[in-house]
Amino acid sequence: MFKNIVFTIITIGFCIKGNAQTVSAEVKEERNIYEKIYDAPLNVAGKQQLSLHELYNEKPLLLALVFTRCSGVCNPFLLQLKENLQFRTKDNSFNVLVLSFDPRDSIKDMNLLAKKFDLENNKQWFFAVTDSITKLNQSISFNPVWDSVINQYDHDALLVGINSEGYITKKLIGIRRGHDMDLLIASVNNVFSPTYRLPSKNLLFSCFNYDPKTGKNKLGLGLIFIALPAVLTVLMLIFISYFVKHKRPEIEETS
Amino acid sequence: MQQQPILVLFLALAGITTIVFTYIFVSSKKAAQSEKGMSNPLKKRFWFSLILFVILSIFTTATLPDSPYYLFADETPAKVVHVAARQFTFFLSEKAIDPASPTGEDIELPADELVEFRVTSLDVNHGFAIYNNSNRLITQVQAMPGYVNRLRYKFKEPGQYDILCLEYCGMAHQAMRASFTVK
Amino acid sequence: MESIKLRKITSVWVITVLILFIVSITLGILMRLNQGEVISQSPVTFYSNLTTHGLTMIGIWFVAGMAAVNYLMQRYIKTSYAANVIALVFTVIGVLMLWTATFIGKFHAAWTFLYPLPFKEMGAATWATLLFLASLTVLGIGWLIWSISLMTQILKKYSIAQAFAWQHFKKNPKVETPPFILISMITLIGVIACLFAAVVLLVLFYAEYFSKGNFVNDALLMKNLTYFFGHTIANEMLYLGLAVIYELFSEVSGRPKWKTTWYVALAWNFTLIFVLTAFFHHLYMDFVQPEGLQIIGQLASYLASLPAAGVTVFSVFIAVYRTKIKWSLTNLLFFIGIAGWVIGGLGAVIDSTISNNIVLHNTLWVPAHFHTYNAMGNVLFSLGFFYWFSTQFSENSKVSKFTTLTLTLLLIGGIGFLLAFYFGGADSIPRRYSIYPSDFPMAAPMATIGATFATIYLIAILIFFFNIYKRCLKILFSPS
Repeated sequence: MFKNIVFTIITIGFCIKGNAQTVSAEVKEERNIYEKIYDAPLNVAGKQQLSLHELYNEKPLLLALVFTRCSGVCNPFLLQLKENLQFRTKDNSFNVLVLSFDPRDSIKDMNLLAKKFDLENNKQWFFAVTDSITKLNQSISFNPVWDSVINQYDHDALLVGINSEGYITKKLIGIRRGHDMDLLIASVNNVFSPTYRLPSKNLLFSCFNYDPKTGKNKLGLGLIFIALPAVLTVLMLIFISYFVKHKRPEIEETS
Repeated sequence: MQQQPILVLFLALAGITTIVFTYIFVSSKKAAQSEKGMSNPLKKRFWFSLILFVILSIFTTATLPDSPYYLFADETPAKVVHVAARQFTFFLSEKAIDPASPTGEDIELPADELVEFRVTSLDVNHGFAIYNNSNRLITQVQAMPGYVNRLRYKFKEPGQYDILCLEYCGMAHQAMRASFTVK
Repeated sequence: MESIKLRKITSVWVITVLILFIVSITLGILMRLNQGEVISQSPVTFYSNLTTHGLTMIGIWFVAGMAAVNYLMQRYIKTSYAANVIALVFTVIGVLMLWTATFIGKFHAAWTFLYPLPFKEMGAATWATLLFLASLTVLGIGWLIWSISLMTQILKKYSIAQAFAWQHFKKNPKVETPPFILISMITLIGVIACLFAAVVLLVLFYAEYFSKGNFVNDALLMKNLTYFFGHTIANEMLYLGLAVIYELFSEVSGRPKWKTTWYVALAWNFTLIFVLTAFFHHLYMDFVQPEGLQIIGQLASYLASLPAAGVTVFSVFIAVYRTKIKWSLTNLLFFIGIAGWVIGGLGAVIDSTISNNIVLHNTLWVPAHFHTYNAMGNVLFSLGFFYWFSTQFSENSKVSKFTTLTLTLLLIGGIGFLLAFYFGGADSIPRRYSIYPSDFPMAAPMATIGATFATIYLIAILIFFFNIYKRCLKILFSPS
């Protein structure tokens, strides 16, 4: 019995290990937190020239960095972002800025991109280019590298949370789960969560997953293990009581 | 500092307890064979429990909002310090710390401004306890592998602050320490 | 009613516990002397002694309570002698394994062996870690068999509802559940739950150990399980002592036996719930633990004191106040023990307040309060039983002259030793430091003072031991 349990657990352990993603984004994501983002002048599709601060002062921002000629991660990244945010936009607590980091991109290119994702009329989404992309990249430690062989940028799929004072509150690298998105949205709205988990850890028996949407912790598989001893005890109590019942004598009644 | 009132409160309560027990013991020693003991014990028990309940409720309501999870929750910190604890040292840095090759730097923090420590551990559980110039424990948080705990604090006094490990972590636990300055 | 066999095995328990107690106190004194820089141990020696001291103390006072409860339970129901023997054999083997792991293998992860510390080269060799985990397994299995056996025997006579005294919530209950049975039942449930927690914890440890790092545990889950087991067992062993007091206090005082009433039943049923959730207060400084559980931790810790003070302590007051009773070493130890328990409880309630915990957690305040309700509480409950037990089968002769001396030394030694801890805690001195950094000039002298008073406490225990061991041996070797 005991051996079986151990074996099962070990087998599950192996499976999890096999699936574990090897993100090394841990460090990059921690850079520049609570630093001010560079206040770049923007050319926003369908709008006049304005500064980044005018956008974030109005509402906290999620900043996504892409380039239109990307044949890699940018498209799935934006698609996923759109899908992720579909059900999170009701509270209307933030805007999304999709900014090109490729100097070749024009405002027209960005307009086309918006159309492609059916977002050109969505008031929450802005598509923009800037002529100070280097300074902006520096302020968020974003380093796209031009690869002349494939004629593409080698870059991270980066999402930056900016609160209404222009501080970087959180960064997400790679296409991430909805849960991380919730943490990001909470952070730009200055909702403090006293803890978070490191992205590279993928553990089977975690007790709780913080849900910033509700501000509560969702129960994890590990919680079963905390409750297990008490449940086992109660079950055993009932079980034993049932089996010794016939042996129970009539207790003399006290008057 | 918070510790002194705590000690006084405890010693006072312990003193009262001792007096009550002694008084009851002496009352038994002096009692005549015929004495009946406590009158109306059920009623007294009820009032005793009720008063205790009220005191505890007041204490709970008064102290819970001061829990560290709620402190400075709606402010943006002026500075964030990354902390990685490892047997038997602390790495402190204003930049994110790479777990593969952790490095620290000298930390200088502003007084009267909100600072956030993002504390994690690279191996076992450690404690991250901040002691002020007069070696008083002012705040702490645990460093747990796999998680980042965010401790927020406003330092009022400039000077050197020490960090000691307050979770037993092995043979050099007592020597695990670091420090930073507040200006 | 008691069988001779039970009498004999109980005397073996008494002697074993006292001998292990004396060794463990000595280790404690050595640690305080090392902190006081009177002697000089290597940190590894210090921390392996710390591990031995903590686990042995928890273990012996748990089995002392169990042995006492088992002995007295024979008055109401038939208990299993075999389970008692198994527990004794497993305890002795378990302690020997533990001591081998710590004294020879130099295993030094402290009695909380907080994951993943035991995996970080914690001993002279890796076998020490495995032997340590194995020793816990042996102890756990032995104790689990014993607790389940006792619970089964109770259930053979009482239904679940009767064992929990639920019929007392109605007026004029037809069946009376003796308080002793009620408290034993409540306590055994808690004991079994925390031993199950230990089983889950150990399985997860073994899984990681034998998978050679392929299976990795979650540190937060492991910490929760560690304190589910550790806190709860330390708490339940106190309640085992209380069960003994409910049974014996009035008896040795020559007063009518205590009865179960609706408020006694209610108090103990609530206690079960509070005890199983109070352990969350060990994780206050882990902000990763959800706030809900932190608040439950504080509420449960606060509320646990209500039934204890309102029912148990008050019952003792009623029994004693202006009532002529026969004072003997037994009920004096009980009475002082209750006082120690209350004072330790006050220190605990202060520490279980989250906003206080942030400046008290893992300072000397923690050993201060738990030594109060152990060394000056629970230990005295068990010593009271030991003394009563040893005098059951021999002519009561010239014992009174030891009474005053033993109690005086116990009180002086105990209070002095504890105050050194409390003042240290209020002075922010960390716990579990083999030597103190120069930032705390008062720490070393205070440790020496603590060691001195602890030695006085040890002398009291030695006097007590020499007072009763002959009588216990006589019981053991009396013809069956």
